[in-house]
Amino acid sequence: MSGSIEVRDLSRTFHTTVRRPGFAGALRSLVNPQKVAKHAVSDVTFSVAPGELLALLGPNGAGKSTTIKMLTGILTPTAGEARVAGVVPYEERERNARNIGAVFGQRTQLWWDLPVRESFAILRDVYEVPKAEHAARLKEFDDLLDLSSFWDTRVRHLSLGQRVRCDLAAALLHDPQVVFLDEPTIGMDVVVKEQVREFLRHQVEERGRTVLLTTHDMTEVERLAERVVLINHGRLMLDGTLDEIRRKFGSTWQVRATLADAHTDAVPLPGIALLRQDGPRVVFGPDGPEAPTVHQALRAIIERYDVTDIAMDEADLEDVMRTAYVQAVGDA
Amino acid sequence: MAVLHAWRAARVTPLGELHAPPRITAALLRLTVQVVLVWSLWRGLYAQTGSTAGLDRDQAVTYAVMAVLALRLRELDQYAGRDTVLQHMHFGTIVYWYLRPLPPQRYYALRALGEQLYGLAWALTGYAVCLAAGVVEPPESPAVAGVFAISMLLGQWVLYYVMLVIDQLCFFTLRNGAAMLILIFAQNLLAGVYAPLWFFPDWFITLSGFLPFQATLNVPLSLYVGRIPLSEAGAELAVQAAWVVALALFTRLVWWRAARRVISQGG
Amino acid sequence: MNAVRIVWRITRLNFRAQLEYRSEFLMMIAIGAVWQVSVIVFATVLLTRFTGMGGWDSSDVLLIPATRMLAHGLFVLFLGRVHGLGRHIQEGRIDVYLLRPMPVYRQVQLEFFPTNAIGDLTVAAGLMWGALARSDLDWTAGRIGYLIAAVLGGMLLEAALFTVVACASLRFPAADYWGRWLEELLGTFGSYPLNVLPRAVGGLLTYGLPLAFVAYFPAAVLTGHDTSVPHWLAAASPLLGLVGYLGARLLWRWSLKHYAGVNG
Repeated sequence: MSGSIEVRDLSRTFHTTVRRPGFAGALRSLVNPQKVAKHAVSDVTFSVAPGELLALLGPNGAGKSTTIKMLTGILTPTAGEARVAGVVPYEERERNARNIGAVFGQRTQLWWDLPVRESFAILRDVYEVPKAEHAARLKEFDDLLDLSSFWDTRVRHLSLGQRVRCDLAAALLHDPQVVFLDEPTIGMDVVVKEQVREFLRHQVEERGRTVLLTTHDMTEVERLAERVVLINHGRLMLDGTLDEIRRKFGSTWQVRATLADAHTDAVPLPGIALLRQDGPRVVFGPDGPEAPTVHQALRAIIERYDVTDIAMDEADLEDVMRTAYVQAVGDA
Repeated sequence: MAVLHAWRAARVTPLGELHAPPRITAALLRLTVQVVLVWSLWRGLYAQTGSTAGLDRDQAVTYAVMAVLALRLRELDQYAGRDTVLQHMHFGTIVYWYLRPLPPQRYYALRALGEQLYGLAWALTGYAVCLAAGVVEPPESPAVAGVFAISMLLGQWVLYYVMLVIDQLCFFTLRNGAAMLILIFAQNLLAGVYAPLWFFPDWFITLSGFLPFQATLNVPLSLYVGRIPLSEAGAELAVQAAWVVALALFTRLVWWRAARRVISQGG
Repeated sequence: MNAVRIVWRITRLNFRAQLEYRSEFLMMIAIGAVWQVSVIVFATVLLTRFTGMGGWDSSDVLLIPATRMLAHGLFVLFLGRVHGLGRHIQEGRIDVYLLRPMPVYRQVQLEFFPTNAIGDLTVAAGLMWGALARSDLDWTAGRIGYLIAAVLGGMLLEAALFTVVACASLRFPAADYWGRWLEELLGTFGSYPLNVLPRAVGGLLTYGLPLAFVAYFPAAVLTGHDTSVPHWLAAASPLLGLVGYLGARLLWRWSLKHYAGVNG
């Protein structure tokens, strides 16, 4: 119960005004606007266990941010239900607010004109955190994120990396069980990214926080998440471990072979496509849903042809996701 | 604990100002120049005229200079702190207002209170200096001073709601800082900041009688200079109080609509 | 010629963009109406109540706010976007402009279409019409020509002042604060014959902040009133506006070259 996220058949439809093209169209839209419905999220169901880090993945505009907004209580769903740490967020916004922390990408919640530490103090009183506890937590965050070197600086003068680190700390100062992070490391350098990942890992493993993370950085997913949920066009495409995703979409292996006889014309094999041939150098790839694994293919190719050299590449996670996103588009 | 967060939210503005000394210097310079300019303008205007619209020279000068000082109560460099509704809507950071266990309307009210108290320190200092220098007349009697103080308090209360309504508009339509400036100009004009309302034609005074703006400044200043006699003070205070109640109810409704707006569009 | 075509196209697009936000567009018109009523009332009220201020008849004195308002309306329409530039600088917009093959100053002006300028110009035109109708002056071609030059000069002078503030904003984004004060000063003190003020204060508004050259001096020249400055200097007001504007543009170029960016 505590710290879990449960989402059932969650849907959200937006009504937007379509604009007619051209100058006359703009004038007509002014008088008589035309509305269309856009299904940002449809029937999404998933859950996150307490102390688990789940990566919510999907291409731009897939409905990730809308989902997070519903879970933080900012947005009310059109249908379905969500519970965050046992609270329905959009019904009891303030109660939910005490249980959660959130960072929305580059949007800062810190007070622009004040030194960072003052922002922390305001939040401490807003969330009613006891002084000693606040100090202890601040110390912990400082050890992990190096905040003290710039926390007396006014926010307007911070660099992006410094600001996002402060925002992370600000979101976690009241010890929330559940943390929502919408692309937290966007635009950061590798050193800061690594520092933030280390921090998140610490928060999940040592503090037992539940984290829901959206990101486009696949290295981050590999380092942090055991489980991912993939959505596209507002629909849930896959809910599983990284391995399952690889198995489902990762069949984009390639086998490069050099044939002993340069004059042989290679032909496709069952489930194996001939991608290209350049003299003796041939590249094979999987063909269709019944394609063999890379190891089976290797065996079949060696049996069929006389090869002097052979190598295989397995797709990395980014290739896997590309396939998944494109395929998801095809399905939808 | 509630006292603590109130104190924190209220001191955001003064603290931000104290962290930016050039802003304080700028405010001081601006206030001084503005007082000198207004003082000399009204004395100049009255050079050919004895008394007009029921105000003699000293009354008009006092009214105008005190209007400049009163403007200081809310006239800060609000955009510098990036904490206006307009800016939060623009940067998408309004979501954080709805992510905290502190209701947005209370946060807004606390911030405004801090700002007005900070402004009051300026206005009182300015008033003391102007009084000592003979730029403004002292109040005629302790009774006038007392009624003025009550009326000024109610006026600031009304002003808070008026500014709130303008800010609330940002939730629904306003994306444009220029429109904000025009609205604030209109509010200042109708409140009597640029010229005492008594100089305006009758239809204009009647019209502003139906609007809340004159309650923010014209009523307290007119009581102070004696243009509204003490015998009529009770009625004027009642009208001010009525505006406070009406605007409180109205803005509460708009907050509710604004929250629904954010909740249906996601900020 | 190509530049003019691009400017025209972007302006059309900007105007359409204003139509996109339905309620805001309608609201800007409503705000425009409030603005019009209040400005006309404000400008006429004081001038009619204090007849003979500074030795000017009310028919002559009306020419000052009329000139100033018309110059201001044209400024808002054509060059008004320099006002409030500090905010865009803080948001890093200047950095984007610097990447594009068009002068930064022109891009700033093409930022959005000033819907409110329509209201400003309507008020100003009405006020000018009223002033001319009341005027007993003999409106020869020379006088009309000078009045047009004065309005254009006033527009350029206002643009020059705001451009100087914009230059300061490039280095100190907080300079916007001064821009707002400048607007207020121009609005409140630009409409009077400045000889009602004590000499020192009038001098400040002539040589310190050259507000007197926007409308007061040209109106004085047209109506034959003496001012605190030599006649030739007052008469040269339109020219001064032009020179001031060119100078401000040079300063802008220099400042842009020394622009160091915001927030690293």
